[in-house]
Amino acid sequence: MFDKLKSILSRLDADYADVRYEVKKDTIVSFSGKELTEVGANSADGFVIRALKDGGMASVVFTKETDAEKAVRSVMENARLIAKNVAKPATLAEVELVQDAFVPALDEDPREVSMSEKLKLVRKYNDIPLGHDGVATTSITYQDVIREKYFLNSEGTQIREDLVTTRIAGEIIGKDGDLTQNVRVSTGGSHGFSTVRDQEDYFEKRTKIVLDLLKAKPVDGGVHNCVLNQSLAGVFTHEAFGHYSEADLIENLPSMREKMKIGSKLGHDVLNIVDNATLADQLGFYRYDDEGVQVRPTQLMKNGVLTGRLHSRRSAAEFGEPVSGHCVAQDYRFAPIIRMGTIFIEPGTHSLEDLVAMLGDGLYILDAKGGATAGENFTFGAQYGYLVKDGKIGEMVRDINISGNLYETMKNITAVGNDLVFSKIGGCGKGPIMQMNMRSCSGGPHILVNGLVIGGA
Amino acid sequence: MEQLLQMAKKICDKTEIYSIEYADNSVFFENAELNNMDSKFQSGISLRIIKEGKLGFAYTRNLTDRQEFLQNALDSLKGGVEATFDFPLTRKLPQLDTFDSSVENLSTEKIVGECARVCDLLKSKTDAEIEMVASAHVGNLRIMNSAGTDVSMRSSGYEIFGNIIYPGTGVGVWRAFMDKGFGMMPDDLVNEMIDLYKKTSRVLEPKGGKMKVLFMPSSQITFNWRILSGTSSKSVYEKVSPVAEKVGEKIFDEKLTILDDPLNDKFPGARCFDDEGVACKPLTIVENGVLKSFYYDLDYAKKMSAEPTGHGYRTTRWGGDRLTLKPIPALSHMSIKPGKKSFAELVKLMDRGIIIENALGFHSGNIPNGDYSVGMNPGFYVEKGEIVGRVKDAMVAGNIYDTLKNVVDVGDKLYPCSDGAWVPVILCDNVSVATKN
Repeated sequence: MFDKLKSILSRLDADYADVRYEVKKDTIVSFSGKELTEVGANSADGFVIRALKDGGMASVVFTKETDAEKAVRSVMENARLIAKNVAKPATLAEVELVQDAFVPALDEDPREVSMSEKLKLVRKYNDIPLGHDGVATTSITYQDVIREKYFLNSEGTQIREDLVTTRIAGEIIGKDGDLTQNVRVSTGGSHGFSTVRDQEDYFEKRTKIVLDLLKAKPVDGGVHNCVLNQSLAGVFTHEAFGHYSEADLIENLPSMREKMKIGSKLGHDVLNIVDNATLADQLGFYRYDDEGVQVRPTQLMKNGVLTGRLHSRRSAAEFGEPVSGHCVAQDYRFAPIIRMGTIFIEPGTHSLEDLVAMLGDGLYILDAKGGATAGENFTFGAQYGYLVKDGKIGEMVRDINISGNLYETMKNITAVGNDLVFSKIGGCGKGPIMQMNMRSCSGGPHILVNGLVIGGA
Repeated sequence: MEQLLQMAKKICDKTEIYSIEYADNSVFFENAELNNMDSKFQSGISLRIIKEGKLGFAYTRNLTDRQEFLQNALDSLKGGVEATFDFPLTRKLPQLDTFDSSVENLSTEKIVGECARVCDLLKSKTDAEIEMVASAHVGNLRIMNSAGTDVSMRSSGYEIFGNIIYPGTGVGVWRAFMDKGFGMMPDDLVNEMIDLYKKTSRVLEPKGGKMKVLFMPSSQITFNWRILSGTSSKSVYEKVSPVAEKVGEKIFDEKLTILDDPLNDKFPGARCFDDEGVACKPLTIVENGVLKSFYYDLDYAKKMSAEPTGHGYRTTRWGGDRLTLKPIPALSHMSIKPGKKSFAELVKLMDRGIIIENALGFHSGNIPNGDYSVGMNPGFYVEKGEIVGRVKDAMVAGNIYDTLKNVVDVGDKLYPCSDGAWVPVILCDNVSVATKN
């Protein structure tokens, strides 16, 4: 394959170029209620070329090898056109040349587990909620995705890397009269099929939550102080802060870039945030990004002060900051963009009991249910929560959605727990040409946040 | 394709072949400067087979070995996914005008020039930071099946999005123009953005409570996802739709009529057959507030002993890779019938209220139940019929089956919503607004 890629590269009259070929293998088992709706294993492949010419950078994606000539012409025409029109020519940060082949260590390779065993396992989990009165339906999908990547650039870097993701995700829907409630199920990881085994207790617990939600009261809208569990703290970090650590989101917004200067105090003193995609047993793990740069742990916030940023080679050059290896594509259909790997709040010293006592009156809210960021605003949902009165956890509440502001909310995280947990599945959409990152990993300990605006119902 | 169909017919009871080709060229402007370009040339073939009542599925980007590809679909039969439906025989289809040849030969220079023109206009009239994205695409789709269907279509599209951003916030007002072929972004759309931006530079912190809320087109994805969930045959079949038993009953205010018209080729993306080769036809979902019908693909139509309505599409709520997805019931061409009042007239009807321009977090919350709780991104505050400023850190929440019973009026102009629907602005009363105060 590298010979083919070399031949493509040789046809590009560029100052810099890279070409990536990927085979994406996707196995799926899906249930909708009792019905099996999908079983299959397929593979698809394609190429992505990026070219830099006279400061103009363009990309092209193609899936038929016979389209290579057309793709080469298109990407060079576009790069030259940008060069003619651009006020600020693109440059790339210098990086070390790499020649490597990296296959991750797996605790049970999903490719070696038979389809019938996968089917049996998913059916067993799916039957757990369906065995309870009050559960109307389920939607449970097992998926393993293997990306076999070949990367070559004009500087001489040549990398083979595999990314293997295994997951079970979906929802359990409960119904009582006109009221419908749902909880998500999510388990899996980057290090093998073992991450989806032995989940019976987990499915039992999730079922109990949805049944309890059918009896819970809607939360009152307004401003609440809250303790967030680890899943929510992770999503909160991802949405409220993480996206604006991605240099491409602020690179061409001069006024935001000014506010997000390294050294700016954006968070409370207790807050330390890192992106570390080198943690081998976490979902976000990889060795090289999709422009051939080795990923490195990046301290983003220390004691509430902005200390680093996630970069591509282009943004690192533009900001004059170190490369971090965070330019990642969804798959063979996309050019890479800047992505979080494994972002988390570093643990502090408090136990959950401490945090609830410090909260006094407010809400204890748990488990992420979708989040979004746009500019300084972000929202995220919690799957369920409990009223807290005089430091005691009380009755369950539902319909919890939160809105906040990048510059203010980070200052309102006033205490950090000691019980760090990472997410097991991801699904972050980004970009005007939307790319989903199924390995986006976030984490945190329990945290105490003051003054969150909750929408209510 | 023909050869593959013949091979499959010998082994399988029923076969369907879905083939797509797609070319796209996109241009990105950031801070009013050309920043990036991306093109795509993609194609692929996907196969569904039915044998002894079981469904098999396979896809490939490159059909190099037909036997291996067919074997892959046969292997998936072992999973035991039940298929009781038949692939349709579709012969007569209406002729639609879905392709504008101007897109095929549209130069990237011309797209760049148009983006630069709009950027200059926005820059000259505001102090905003400006982003633009424009893209032109052409596609071919062909579906063949063992019942004798062989349908194909060619389509084209051109889209331009402009976003004017309040400095220091990353949040802006955006509008989109979409057509089958290249066109200049209309002045009224550009002026609407400028006007809204200029009126909302001041940040206010109003008190929350129940009030009138004007839902702008892009915020209505919040409603659309919940309407799509409630009226899908899949939700009805699974007994999670709150309106499953309410056909013929009033579920929304009488000012709301919700249609799905794939045949309307004035809009880009018109279709005369769905992704299963079923002929498309207009469908009324809600007429003057009364629930009229659900929408079906082949699978759920068969399961529920209903007629397929031509709504089997290879998609998810987030879109996705059509080649690799199996059809599900989807309302692909939804629109809400416009009313008679202009945006300005609707604002005049608001004593005190919020205009929600974009909704953040429309995808979270209890969608099957119709609940929503979304951030304003941005929201505007209205007092005595005038827009007086911008609201931050505020949320609008409710349940669509309550909110859409309290429609004050509906705007007179259709806008493209980001999920492909075309909707007017909708003014609702008695909506919960949570703010910091």
